[in-house]
Amino acid sequence: MARRGRGGRWRRTAEVWCLLAPSLAIFLLYRILPLLWNGVLSFEDWSPLRPAHWIGLENYDEMLFDDGVFWQALWNTLIFMASAPIGIVIALALALLVNARIRGRDIYRTIIFLSYPLMTVAVAIIWRWMFDERVGLINYVARSLDLVDRPIQFLNSFNWALPSVIAANTWQMLGFYMIILLTGLQSIPGELHEAAAIDGATGSRRFWSITLPLLRPTLFLCFVIGMLNSFTSFDLVYVMTGGGPGRATELLITYIYKLGFSQTRFDYAAAVTVFFFVLLISVTWVANRLSGRDAGAMRLD
Amino acid sequence: MKRRALLKGSLAGAAALAMPYIARAQSGQKLSFLTWNIADQEKLFKEEFADFQKTHPGVEIEWLDKKGPDLPAFYQTQLVAGTAPDVVDLQGALWVEYAAGGALLDLSPYLAKEPEVAKLYNADYLASWRYDGKTYMLPFYIAKTLLFYNKAMFKEAGLEAPPASFDEILSFAQRMAKGEKTGFMTLNFDWLYWPLFKMNGVDLLTADMKKPAFNTPQAAEVLGKLAASTDKGAINKISWTGRWVEPNGAFAGNTVGMFHAHSSAYFFVKGQGAWINPDTLGITQLPGYWATPTNHGFGISKSSKNPDLAWAFIKHLTSNKWATEFALRRKLVTGTIVADQQSLETIGKEDPLGRAVLQTQLEHTDKFTGNWPLPFDAELKDAFYPEIQNAVLGRKTAAAALGDAERAVERVLRRHA
Repeated sequence: MARRGRGGRWRRTAEVWCLLAPSLAIFLLYRILPLLWNGVLSFEDWSPLRPAHWIGLENYDEMLFDDGVFWQALWNTLIFMASAPIGIVIALALALLVNARIRGRDIYRTIIFLSYPLMTVAVAIIWRWMFDERVGLINYVARSLDLVDRPIQFLNSFNWALPSVIAANTWQMLGFYMIILLTGLQSIPGELHEAAAIDGATGSRRFWSITLPLLRPTLFLCFVIGMLNSFTSFDLVYVMTGGGPGRATELLITYIYKLGFSQTRFDYAAAVTVFFFVLLISVTWVANRLSGRDAGAMRLD
Repeated sequence: MKRRALLKGSLAGAAALAMPYIARAQSGQKLSFLTWNIADQEKLFKEEFADFQKTHPGVEIEWLDKKGPDLPAFYQTQLVAGTAPDVVDLQGALWVEYAAGGALLDLSPYLAKEPEVAKLYNADYLASWRYDGKTYMLPFYIAKTLLFYNKAMFKEAGLEAPPASFDEILSFAQRMAKGEKTGFMTLNFDWLYWPLFKMNGVDLLTADMKKPAFNTPQAAEVLGKLAASTDKGAINKISWTGRWVEPNGAFAGNTVGMFHAHSSAYFFVKGQGAWINPDTLGITQLPGYWATPTNHGFGISKSSKNPDLAWAFIKHLTSNKWATEFALRRKLVTGTIVADQQSLETIGKEDPLGRAVLQTQLEHTDKFTGNWPLPFDAELKDAFYPEIQNAVLGRKTAAAALGDAERAVERVLRRHA
């Protein structure tokens, strides 16, 4: 019996590995190996036109102590990342609205969600035109209402460019946040609200004491996804502003692209990528800690 | 016996049928050809390929076109993989990086062996593809900056002739700036704005190209004036932030007095601006005749297995016959002397203004600026231009921006010393 049991376990293990193997192979080939190669490259001097040679920490030294653009891009990335809660708050309000018993709520849900499946490049082009100073809708409305004398050059202004890009990013993510939050709202047992209402709790009291605490895991999920999305908002920024004016909207991800493919500095781009990766892992680790260390875990009962 | 005979017969038949293909495969050669954002000329290219194949039977041509930002990344990956295309179309100063890195074939020996070939092309444009005493490209199509001006806006502002100096550009621009109207705009990519500095005697680097030369009181004055004019609305801010569509769109909107751009802008703007005709659009050279070229050329990858065939191919593409055809269909100048003469004559019959625009591209070609043969041109641009933006858009004083730009440029130069 014991032998058969051990044989069964082996067979099961073999089955699991067989099923996992294709995914693991792809993960290894397209994620782990490039990551390792990137790590090695960050310590080398290499371009497609010259052989690699080891230069130790030179790229990191340059990045940390001699490259103002890196720090500007890092700062912009952190601001971009910190903007995620704005979208979540708006999405929560919308989710509460379309969760209420109002006529046509399914239509509203669909309309709000529509922004998310759109291609990011299309979103960027739409918003670039929306912000345009000559034909943009926002300037047209602002001028029609006499809110401004001259058109605001949203994407050409050092002050407005980053908020404008953040606004476009927030708009695109709203639908996604809303659907996630809506699911969270609908998983809250109705009896809790009913009991609280019988006890005389006001709507706002119920929101703060029941809805919000029970939504915490969902809000957290939105927050993590929002932050990760901010890290990788390459296409939106690249199409809307290209990182400009100056470096006003330069993110680490756009800077890495420019270093690699405009300046052919793949070695230095690799060093910035390693930093970017460490930052990403750190943020995820902190987020996981805050969530009680079991984010994404599945309970097997 | 019968079966064996049948088998033998079948094999013999198959071998006989396959023979021409095998022979062709053995004698045939393949050329891969990469172009930059010119897929609209597929019909022309196919005609050119067919014509080439008449004199080079059995040669297979594989053509691939890549959009603007995709080509450099694609070519780099092909270089790393050892599968670089035999012939490549490169724009701006990108070729220098590849030439310096040993990716492009030196065409000088071919040009020395066939001296009549070099004579086909405009000497100044051909010279702009020289690096370290060697020529790496032949001209595909060429362009350089000029000044377009809106005659109606000039008249409205009481201006009779185009500006003859930098200060006149700014004062004229100020006179035309009113409400939504701005007086001047420039393209800014690939150093296209550099003539504004050069006409004031400002150089980017020292003659040996080893040190920055731009951080001078004169440069600070020029930059300060550009910033002040931008702040007052005389210079359109799109000058410093837009790339191609936005500035052209703004000029086509009939609200910009002068537009510093290259000849391609004319055809783009004409397509959008119904107001454009010889009575309303003026064209002239910038004061001092300074202009920045932005050319496309054909190079041969050093890794090509058929360099002689590739050389014959680029000679074919830039020959009088096909350069003329290309110039007529795309309405541009190619740098091939006879082709440009012939095409300008034809274009002039239906679009005299277009001809005049293209004619400027062939004049004062000894006054090129902003086309330094530097292998790290992209890095230099990326270090320098954001500081110019900081100054002209009012984020830093001209002196502070130039100081920061100098440090950034020194860093690039140090790395490549």
